[in-house]
Amino acid sequence: MSSSRDDFGIAIRSALLQRGAATKFSLISLIVLASIIFILDINNFTFTKPIRSIINDGIYRVSLVASTPTKVLPEAVESMRNFIDIKKENQRLKTELEIFRQKELNVEYLTNQNRNLKKILETEDKILKSNIILSKVLIDKSSPYLKSIIINRGSKSGVLKGLPVLDKENLVGKVVETNYLSSRVLLLNDLNSRIPVTFGGEGVQAILKGNGGTKPSLEYLPEDFIIEPDVDVFTSGKDGIFLPGSPIGKTTQDGEVKLFSDPNQLSFVTIDLSKQRKEVF
Amino acid sequence: MIISKIANKGLNIGPLFFLYYLSISEIDTYFENFFEILSFNIQLIIIYFWVLKRPSLLGNGHIFFAGLINDVVMGFPLGISSLCYLIISLMATYIKNMSVNTSITSDWFTFFLAAMFSNGTFLILASNFSEIQINFLDMSYNTFFTLIFFPFFWFLFNVYNSMIGNRNV
Repeated sequence: MSSSRDDFGIAIRSALLQRGAATKFSLISLIVLASIIFILDINNFTFTKPIRSIINDGIYRVSLVASTPTKVLPEAVESMRNFIDIKKENQRLKTELEIFRQKELNVEYLTNQNRNLKKILETEDKILKSNIILSKVLIDKSSPYLKSIIINRGSKSGVLKGLPVLDKENLVGKVVETNYLSSRVLLLNDLNSRIPVTFGGEGVQAILKGNGGTKPSLEYLPEDFIIEPDVDVFTSGKDGIFLPGSPIGKTTQDGEVKLFSDPNQLSFVTIDLSKQRKEVF
Repeated sequence: MIISKIANKGLNIGPLFFLYYLSISEIDTYFENFFEILSFNIQLIIIYFWVLKRPSLLGNGHIFFAGLINDVVMGFPLGISSLCYLIISLMATYIKNMSVNTSITSDWFTFFLAAMFSNGTFLILASNFSEIQINFLDMSYNTFFTLIFFPFFWFLFNVYNSMIGNRNV
Protein backbone atom coordinates (compact mmCIF):
# COMPACT_ATOMS: atom_id res chain seq x y z
CA MET A 1 0.00 0.00 0.00
CA SER A 2 2.71 2.44 1.02
CA SER A 3 4.75 1.35 -1.98
CA SER A 4 1.96 2.26 -4.41
CA ARG A 5 1.59 5.63 -2.66
CA ASP A 6 5.33 6.20 -3.09
CA ASP A 7 5.07 5.28 -6.77
CA PHE A 8 2.23 7.76 -7.24
CA GLY A 9 4.22 10.47 -5.45
CA ILE A 10 7.32 9.86 -7.52
CA ALA A 11 5.38 9.76 -10.82
CA ILE A 12 3.39 12.93 -10.13
CA ARG A 13 6.48 14.80 -8.81
CA SER A 14 8.40 13.70 -11.86
CA ALA A 15 5.57 14.79 -14.18
CA LEU A 16 5.34 18.20 -12.53
CA LEU A 17 9.01 19.01 -12.18
CA GLN A 18 10.60 17.13 -15.08
CA ARG A 19 12.53 19.17 -17.61
CA GLY A 20 14.34 17.91 -20.66
CA ALA A 21 15.76 18.92 -24.02
CA ALA A 22 12.40 19.96 -25.48
CA THR A 23 10.72 20.82 -22.20
CA LYS A 24 12.63 23.84 -20.95
CA PHE A 25 9.93 24.77 -18.47
CA SER A 26 8.54 22.49 -15.80
CA LEU A 27 4.80 21.86 -15.88
CA ILE A 28 4.26 23.26 -12.40
CA SER A 29 5.87 26.61 -13.28
CA LEU A 30 3.71 26.92 -16.42
CA ILE A 31 0.53 25.94 -14.54
CA VAL A 32 1.31 28.66 -11.96
CA LEU A 33 2.03 31.16 -14.75
CA ALA A 34 -1.23 30.29 -16.59
CA SER A 35 -3.15 30.68 -13.32
CA ILE A 36 -1.58 34.12 -12.69
CA ILE A 37 -2.43 35.26 -16.25
CA PHE A 38 -6.01 33.97 -15.80
CA ILE A 39 -6.45 35.81 -12.48
CA LEU A 40 -5.02 39.05 -13.92
CA ASP A 41 -7.28 38.80 -16.96
CA ILE A 42 -10.55 38.06 -15.19
CA ASN A 43 -9.97 40.86 -12.68
CA ASN A 44 -9.46 43.40 -15.49
CA PHE A 45 -6.45 45.12 -13.98
CA THR A 46 -5.82 48.39 -15.82
CA PHE A 47 -2.25 47.52 -16.78
CA THR A 48 -3.33 44.24 -18.43
CA LYS A 49 -5.80 45.92 -20.82
CA PRO A 50 -3.28 47.57 -23.19
CA ILE A 51 -1.11 44.43 -23.14
CA ARG A 52 -4.06 42.25 -24.01
CA SER A 53 -5.14 44.71 -26.69
CA ILE A 54 -1.69 44.55 -28.37
CA ILE A 55 -1.60 40.74 -28.13
CA ASN A 56 -5.12 40.51 -29.58
CA ASP A 57 -4.35 42.82 -32.51
CA GLY A 58 -1.16 40.90 -33.28
CA ILE A 59 -2.71 37.44 -33.06
CA TYR A 60 -5.80 38.42 -35.07
CA ARG A 61 -3.57 39.60 -37.94
CA VAL A 62 -1.45 36.43 -37.81
CA SER A 63 -4.64 34.36 -37.65
CA LEU A 64 -5.97 36.14 -40.73
CA VAL A 65 -2.78 35.30 -42.64
CA ALA A 66 -2.75 31.71 -41.33
CA SER A 67 -6.37 31.24 -42.40
CA THR A 68 -5.70 32.45 -45.95
CA PRO A 69 -4.98 28.96 -47.38
CA THR A 70 -8.24 27.62 -45.98
CA LYS A 71 -10.10 30.51 -47.59
CA VAL A 72 -8.17 30.57 -50.86
CA LEU A 73 -8.26 26.81 -51.48
CA PRO A 74 -12.07 26.49 -51.80
CA GLU A 75 -12.09 29.58 -54.02
CA ALA A 76 -9.35 28.08 -56.22
CA VAL A 77 -11.26 24.80 -56.48
CA GLU A 78 -14.39 26.73 -57.41
CA SER A 79 -12.51 28.71 -60.08
CA MET A 80 -11.09 25.50 -61.50
CA ARG A 81 -14.54 23.94 -61.61
CA ASN A 82 -15.89 27.05 -63.34
CA PHE A 83 -13.08 26.90 -65.86
CA ILE A 84 -13.91 23.29 -66.69
CA ASP A 85 -17.62 24.08 -67.01
CA ILE A 86 -16.96 27.15 -69.12
CA LYS A 87 -19.06 26.00 -72.08
CA LYS A 88 -22.11 25.39 -69.97
CA GLU A 89 -21.44 28.66 -68.20
CA ASN A 90 -21.30 30.47 -71.52
CA GLN A 91 -24.67 29.09 -72.58
CA ARG A 92 -26.18 30.02 -69.25
CA LEU A 93 -24.77 33.53 -69.45
CA LYS A 94 -26.15 34.02 -72.94
CA THR A 95 -29.60 33.10 -71.72
CA GLU A 96 -29.21 35.38 -68.74
CA LEU A 97 -28.06 38.21 -70.98
CA GLU A 98 -31.24 37.89 -72.97
CA ILE A 99 -33.29 38.16 -69.81
CA PHE A 100 -31.29 41.17 -68.67
CA ARG A 101 -31.80 42.89 -72.02
CA GLN A 102 -35.51 42.51 -71.59
CA LYS A 103 -35.26 43.96 -68.12
CA GLU A 104 -33.13 46.88 -69.28
CA LEU A 105 -36.14 48.91 -70.20
CA ASN A 106 -37.47 48.65 -66.69
CA VAL A 107 -34.15 49.69 -65.21
CA GLU A 108 -34.22 53.15 -66.69
CA TYR A 109 -37.59 53.81 -65.17
CA LEU A 110 -36.46 52.49 -61.77
CA THR A 111 -33.23 54.53 -61.91
CA ASN A 112 -35.18 57.72 -62.34
CA GLN A 113 -37.55 56.78 -59.56
CA ASN A 114 -34.61 55.92 -57.30
CA ARG A 115 -32.92 59.25 -58.06
CA ASN A 116 -36.06 61.13 -57.09
CA LEU A 117 -36.48 59.16 -53.87
CA LYS A 118 -32.82 59.74 -52.95
CA LYS A 119 -33.35 63.47 -53.36
CA ILE A 120 -36.11 63.25 -50.78
CA LEU A 121 -33.96 61.20 -48.38
CA GLU A 122 -30.71 63.09 -49.00
CA THR A 123 -30.55 64.93 -45.70
CA GLU A 124 -31.33 61.87 -43.57
CA ASP A 125 -28.91 59.75 -45.58
CA LYS A 126 -26.02 62.09 -44.86
CA ILE A 127 -26.64 61.97 -41.13
CA LEU A 128 -26.76 58.20 -41.08
CA LYS A 129 -23.73 57.68 -43.31
CA SER A 130 -21.53 59.89 -41.16
CA ASN A 131 -22.25 57.65 -38.15
CA ILE A 132 -21.90 54.26 -39.77
CA ILE A 133 -18.59 52.60 -40.55
CA LEU A 134 -18.03 49.55 -42.70
CA SER A 135 -15.90 46.77 -41.33
CA LYS A 136 -14.49 43.50 -42.64
CA VAL A 137 -14.88 40.26 -40.70
CA LEU A 138 -11.34 39.06 -39.94
CA ILE A 139 -12.08 35.85 -38.07
CA ASP A 140 -15.30 33.92 -37.68
CA LYS A 141 -14.00 30.75 -36.09
CA SER A 142 -16.94 28.65 -34.98
CA SER A 143 -16.91 27.48 -31.42
CA PRO A 144 -19.39 25.21 -29.67
CA TYR A 145 -19.32 27.62 -26.72
CA LEU A 146 -18.98 31.20 -28.01
CA LYS A 147 -20.54 32.75 -31.08
CA SER A 148 -18.47 35.77 -31.95
CA ILE A 149 -16.56 37.35 -34.82
CA ILE A 150 -13.50 39.59 -35.04
CA ILE A 151 -13.77 42.74 -37.16
CA ASN A 152 -11.01 45.00 -38.47
CA ARG A 153 -12.16 48.17 -36.70
CA GLY A 154 -11.14 49.12 -33.20
CA SER A 155 -10.87 52.08 -30.88
CA LYS A 156 -8.83 53.88 -33.57
CA SER A 157 -12.03 54.11 -35.67
CA GLY A 158 -14.14 55.15 -32.68
CA VAL A 159 -15.58 51.71 -31.90
CA LEU A 160 -16.68 51.34 -28.29
CA LYS A 161 -18.01 48.44 -26.24
CA GLY A 162 -21.74 47.91 -26.60
CA LEU A 163 -22.16 49.44 -30.06
CA PRO A 164 -24.65 47.70 -32.36
CA VAL A 165 -23.30 45.81 -35.36
CA LEU A 166 -25.41 45.45 -38.48
CA ASP A 167 -25.38 43.37 -41.64
CA LYS A 168 -27.00 45.67 -44.20
CA GLU A 169 -29.80 47.03 -42.00
CA ASN A 170 -30.24 43.91 -39.87
CA LEU A 171 -28.84 43.69 -36.37
CA VAL A 172 -26.32 40.86 -35.94
CA GLY A 173 -24.71 41.59 -32.58
CA LYS A 174 -22.86 44.06 -30.41
CA VAL A 175 -19.24 44.94 -29.72
CA VAL A 176 -18.01 43.30 -26.52
CA GLU A 177 -14.27 43.87 -26.71
CA THR A 178 -12.28 46.60 -28.41
CA ASN A 179 -8.60 46.69 -29.28
CA TYR A 180 -6.78 49.46 -31.10
CA LEU A 181 -7.22 47.93 -34.57
CA SER A 182 -9.83 45.21 -34.05
CA SER A 183 -12.93 44.36 -32.04
CA ARG A 184 -14.86 41.29 -30.99
CA VAL A 185 -18.57 41.18 -31.80
CA LEU A 186 -20.89 38.99 -29.75
CA LEU A 187 -23.49 37.55 -32.12
CA LEU A 188 -27.21 37.43 -31.33
CA ASN A 189 -27.23 33.63 -31.14
CA ASP A 190 -24.52 33.50 -28.45
CA LEU A 191 -25.55 32.13 -25.09
CA ASN A 192 -24.48 35.39 -23.42
CA SER A 193 -26.50 37.69 -25.73
CA ARG A 194 -29.59 39.55 -24.40
CA ILE A 195 -31.33 42.17 -26.56
CA PRO A 196 -34.59 44.01 -25.77
CA VAL A 197 -36.94 43.60 -28.71
CA THR A 198 -40.43 44.45 -29.82
CA PHE A 199 -42.73 42.74 -32.31
CA GLY A 200 -46.27 42.47 -33.59
CA GLY A 201 -48.97 45.07 -34.08
CA GLU A 202 -49.35 45.60 -30.33
CA GLY A 203 -45.64 46.25 -29.88
CA VAL A 204 -45.06 43.37 -27.48
CA GLN A 205 -41.85 43.78 -25.47
CA ALA A 206 -39.49 40.85 -24.91
CA ILE A 207 -35.87 39.90 -24.47
CA LEU A 208 -34.14 38.07 -27.29
CA LYS A 209 -31.86 35.53 -25.67
CA GLY A 210 -29.16 33.64 -27.55
CA ASN A 211 -29.16 29.90 -26.97
CA GLY A 212 -26.02 28.84 -28.78
CA GLY A 213 -28.07 27.45 -31.67
CA THR A 214 -29.05 29.14 -34.90
CA LYS A 215 -32.31 30.62 -33.63
CA PRO A 216 -32.35 32.79 -30.47
CA SER A 217 -35.43 32.59 -28.29
CA LEU A 218 -37.87 35.18 -26.96
CA GLU A 219 -38.15 35.51 -23.18
CA TYR A 220 -39.98 37.67 -20.62
CA LEU A 221 -43.13 37.73 -22.74
CA PRO A 222 -46.50 38.77 -21.28
CA GLU A 223 -48.26 35.99 -19.36
CA ASP A 224 -50.04 33.36 -21.50
CA PHE A 225 -48.81 35.07 -24.64
CA ILE A 226 -48.95 32.90 -27.75
CA ILE A 227 -46.36 33.73 -30.36
CA GLU A 228 -47.59 33.87 -33.93
CA PRO A 229 -45.16 32.72 -36.59
CA ASP A 230 -43.72 34.99 -39.31
CA VAL A 231 -43.95 38.23 -37.33
CA ASP A 232 -41.04 40.66 -37.79
CA VAL A 233 -38.93 41.30 -34.68
CA PHE A 234 -37.18 44.65 -34.17
CA THR A 235 -34.94 46.18 -31.50
CA SER A 236 -36.96 48.16 -28.99
CA GLY A 237 -34.11 50.46 -27.99
CA LYS A 238 -35.19 50.20 -24.33
CA ASP A 239 -31.60 49.65 -23.22
CA GLY A 240 -30.56 53.01 -24.66
CA ILE A 241 -27.78 51.32 -26.63
CA PHE A 242 -29.49 50.02 -29.72
CA LEU A 243 -31.45 52.26 -32.04
CA PRO A 244 -35.12 51.27 -31.95
CA GLY A 245 -36.50 49.63 -35.09
CA SER A 246 -33.46 47.69 -36.33
CA PRO A 247 -34.81 44.52 -37.95
CA ILE A 248 -33.63 41.25 -36.39
CA GLY A 249 -35.67 38.35 -37.75
CA LYS A 250 -39.01 36.58 -37.93
CA THR A 251 -40.75 34.64 -35.19
CA THR A 252 -41.25 30.90 -35.47
CA GLN A 253 -43.92 28.68 -33.96
CA ASP A 254 -41.57 27.50 -31.17
CA GLY A 255 -41.07 30.99 -29.73
CA GLU A 256 -37.74 31.37 -31.47
CA VAL A 257 -36.54 33.96 -33.96
CA LYS A 258 -35.15 33.09 -37.38
CA LEU A 259 -32.52 35.76 -37.95
CA PHE A 260 -32.59 37.80 -41.17
CA SER A 261 -28.77 37.62 -41.39
CA ASP A 262 -27.13 34.22 -41.08
CA PRO A 263 -24.44 34.68 -38.37
CA ASN A 264 -22.21 32.12 -40.11
CA GLN A 265 -22.18 33.97 -43.43
CA LEU A 266 -20.93 37.41 -42.47
CA SER A 267 -18.18 39.01 -44.56
CA PHE A 268 -18.74 42.73 -44.06
CA VAL A 269 -20.66 44.41 -41.28
CA THR A 270 -21.45 48.00 -40.36
CA ILE A 271 -21.12 49.57 -36.94
CA ASP A 272 -23.51 52.25 -35.88
CA LEU A 273 -21.50 54.89 -34.02
CA SER A 274 -24.48 57.18 -33.49
CA LYS A 275 -25.14 55.71 -30.05
CA GLN A 276 -21.64 56.21 -28.70
CA ARG A 277 -21.65 56.20 -24.93
CA LYS A 278 -18.68 55.53 -22.78
CA GLU A 279 -20.31 52.80 -20.77
CA VAL A 280 -18.51 50.16 -18.80
CA PHE A 281 -19.92 46.68 -19.31
CA MET B 1 21.97 13.64 -46.43
CA ILE B 2 20.86 17.26 -46.06
CA ILE B 3 17.50 16.50 -47.66
CA SER B 4 17.03 13.60 -45.26
CA LYS B 5 17.85 15.87 -42.31
CA ILE B 6 15.36 18.49 -43.51
CA ALA B 7 12.70 15.78 -43.99
CA ASN B 8 13.37 14.53 -40.44
CA LYS B 9 13.08 18.04 -39.05
CA GLY B 10 9.87 18.56 -41.02
CA LEU B 11 8.36 15.37 -39.68
CA ASN B 12 9.44 16.21 -36.14
CA ILE B 13 7.82 19.65 -36.11
CA GLY B 14 4.61 18.29 -37.70
CA PRO B 15 2.61 17.80 -34.48
CA LEU B 16 3.76 21.15 -33.07
CA PHE B 17 2.91 22.93 -36.32
CA PHE B 18 -0.50 21.24 -36.39
CA LEU B 19 -1.18 22.30 -32.79
CA TYR B 20 -0.23 25.92 -33.45
CA TYR B 21 -2.08 25.99 -36.76
CA LEU B 22 -5.29 24.70 -35.21
CA SER B 23 -5.04 27.31 -32.46
CA ILE B 24 -4.35 30.27 -34.70
CA SER B 25 -6.25 29.55 -37.92
CA GLU B 26 -9.94 29.68 -38.66
CA ILE B 27 -10.07 25.90 -39.08
CA ASP B 28 -12.61 24.75 -36.58
CA THR B 29 -13.75 21.41 -35.37
CA TYR B 30 -17.34 22.50 -34.87
CA PHE B 31 -19.45 20.91 -37.59
CA GLU B 32 -22.86 22.38 -36.84
CA ASN B 33 -23.75 22.33 -40.56
CA PHE B 34 -23.49 18.53 -40.63
CA PHE B 35 -24.80 17.71 -37.19
CA GLU B 36 -25.80 20.43 -34.74
CA ILE B 37 -24.06 18.94 -31.71
CA LEU B 38 -20.94 17.64 -33.46
CA SER B 39 -17.80 19.32 -32.17
CA PHE B 40 -14.55 17.97 -30.85
CA ASN B 41 -11.26 19.22 -29.53
CA ILE B 42 -8.33 17.92 -31.61
CA GLN B 43 -5.84 19.99 -29.60
CA LEU B 44 -6.48 17.80 -26.56
CA ILE B 45 -5.90 14.64 -28.60
CA ILE B 46 -2.69 16.03 -30.16
CA ILE B 47 -1.27 17.04 -26.78
CA TYR B 48 -2.23 13.81 -25.04
CA PHE B 49 -0.96 11.51 -27.78
CA TRP B 50 2.36 13.20 -28.44
CA VAL B 51 3.23 13.86 -24.79
CA LEU B 52 2.49 10.19 -24.14
CA LYS B 53 4.31 8.75 -27.14
CA ARG B 54 7.05 11.21 -28.04
CA PRO B 55 7.28 14.06 -25.51
CA SER B 56 10.39 15.49 -27.15
CA LEU B 57 8.19 16.83 -30.02
CA LEU B 58 5.91 19.00 -27.89
CA GLY B 59 7.53 21.19 -25.25
CA ASN B 60 5.50 22.40 -22.29
CA GLY B 61 6.24 26.00 -23.28
CA HIS B 62 4.73 25.44 -26.71
CA ILE B 63 1.64 23.80 -25.19
CA PHE B 64 1.25 26.79 -22.86
CA PHE B 65 1.70 29.28 -25.70
CA ALA B 66 -0.73 27.43 -28.01
CA GLY B 67 -3.31 27.67 -25.21
CA LEU B 68 -2.80 31.42 -24.93
CA ILE B 69 -3.25 31.84 -28.69
CA ASN B 70 -6.41 29.73 -28.58
CA ASP B 71 -7.80 31.96 -25.80
CA VAL B 72 -7.21 35.11 -27.82
CA VAL B 73 -8.74 33.69 -31.02
CA MET B 74 -11.75 32.14 -29.29
CA GLY B 75 -12.34 35.03 -26.88
CA PHE B 76 -11.88 33.07 -23.67
CA PRO B 77 -10.20 34.58 -20.59
CA LEU B 78 -6.42 34.44 -21.07
CA GLY B 79 -4.75 31.42 -19.52
CA ILE B 80 -7.79 29.14 -19.32
CA SER B 81 -6.94 26.99 -22.37
CA SER B 82 -3.27 26.91 -21.32
CA LEU B 83 -4.32 25.49 -17.97
CA CYS B 84 -6.48 22.83 -19.63
CA TYR B 85 -3.76 21.88 -22.09
CA LEU B 86 -1.19 21.67 -19.30
CA ILE B 87 -3.53 19.45 -17.28
CA ILE B 88 -3.77 17.08 -20.26
CA SER B 89 0.02 17.20 -20.55
CA LEU B 90 0.39 16.50 -16.83
CA MET B 91 -1.92 13.48 -17.02
CA ALA B 92 -0.11 12.15 -20.09
CA THR B 93 3.30 12.55 -18.43
CA TYR B 94 2.01 10.83 -15.30
CA ILE B 95 0.64 7.88 -17.34
CA LYS B 96 3.91 7.70 -19.24
CA ASN B 97 5.86 7.54 -15.96
CA MET B 98 3.55 4.91 -14.47
CA SER B 99 3.08 2.52 -17.38
CA VAL B 100 5.41 0.32 -19.39
CA ASN B 101 3.30 -0.94 -22.28
CA THR B 102 0.27 0.92 -23.57
CA SER B 103 -2.43 -0.13 -25.99
CA ILE B 104 -5.25 1.77 -27.66
CA THR B 105 -7.70 0.66 -24.96
CA SER B 106 -5.50 1.84 -22.09
CA ASP B 107 -4.71 5.10 -23.92
CA TRP B 108 -8.38 5.63 -24.66
CA PHE B 109 -9.40 5.05 -21.05
CA THR B 110 -6.68 7.29 -19.62
CA PHE B 111 -7.50 9.96 -22.19
CA PHE B 112 -11.12 9.77 -21.04
CA LEU B 113 -9.99 10.64 -17.49
CA ALA B 114 -7.63 13.37 -18.71
CA ALA B 115 -10.27 14.96 -20.98
CA MET B 116 -12.89 14.88 -18.23
CA PHE B 117 -10.48 16.50 -15.78
CA SER B 118 -9.34 19.11 -18.30
CA ASN B 119 -12.83 20.04 -19.56
CA GLY B 120 -14.14 20.00 -15.99
CA THR B 121 -11.48 22.54 -15.03
CA PHE B 122 -12.45 24.65 -18.05
CA LEU B 123 -16.14 24.55 -17.13
CA ILE B 124 -15.55 25.40 -13.46
CA LEU B 125 -13.17 28.28 -14.22
CA ALA B 126 -15.26 29.71 -17.07
CA SER B 127 -18.60 29.55 -15.28
CA ASN B 128 -17.43 30.72 -11.86
CA PHE B 129 -14.63 33.19 -12.52
CA SER B 130 -15.52 34.81 -15.84
CA GLU B 131 -18.52 36.54 -17.37
CA ILE B 132 -18.98 34.01 -20.16
CA GLN B 133 -21.74 31.45 -19.86
CA ILE B 134 -20.97 27.94 -20.99
CA ASN B 135 -23.69 25.47 -21.79
CA PHE B 136 -22.97 22.29 -19.83
CA LEU B 137 -24.67 20.20 -22.50
CA ASP B 138 -22.52 21.63 -25.33
CA MET B 139 -19.45 20.95 -23.23
CA SER B 140 -20.58 17.36 -22.63
CA TYR B 141 -21.16 16.81 -26.37
CA ASN B 142 -17.73 18.22 -27.12
CA THR B 143 -16.10 15.89 -24.58
CA PHE B 144 -18.11 12.94 -25.83
CA PHE B 145 -17.18 13.44 -29.50
CA THR B 146 -13.54 14.11 -28.58
CA LEU B 147 -13.54 10.69 -26.90
CA ILE B 148 -15.33 9.07 -29.84
CA PHE B 149 -12.81 10.45 -32.34
CA PHE B 150 -9.77 9.61 -30.19
CA PRO B 151 -9.14 6.12 -31.71
CA PHE B 152 -9.25 7.53 -35.26
CA PHE B 153 -6.58 10.11 -34.46
CA TRP B 154 -4.68 7.53 -32.38
CA PHE B 155 -4.25 5.34 -35.48
CA LEU B 156 -3.43 8.33 -37.66
CA PHE B 157 -0.80 9.67 -35.26
CA ASN B 158 0.57 6.18 -34.68
CA VAL B 159 1.28 5.86 -38.40
CA TYR B 160 2.96 9.27 -38.30
CA ASN B 161 4.90 8.27 -35.20
CA SER B 162 6.19 5.10 -36.88
CA MET B 163 7.25 7.22 -39.88
CA ILE B 164 9.31 9.40 -37.55
CA GLY B 165 10.68 6.28 -35.85
CA ASN B 166 11.70 4.69 -39.17
CA ARG B 167 13.42 7.85 -40.34
CA ASN B 168 15.34 8.29 -37.08
CA VAL B 169 16.57 4.68 -37.30
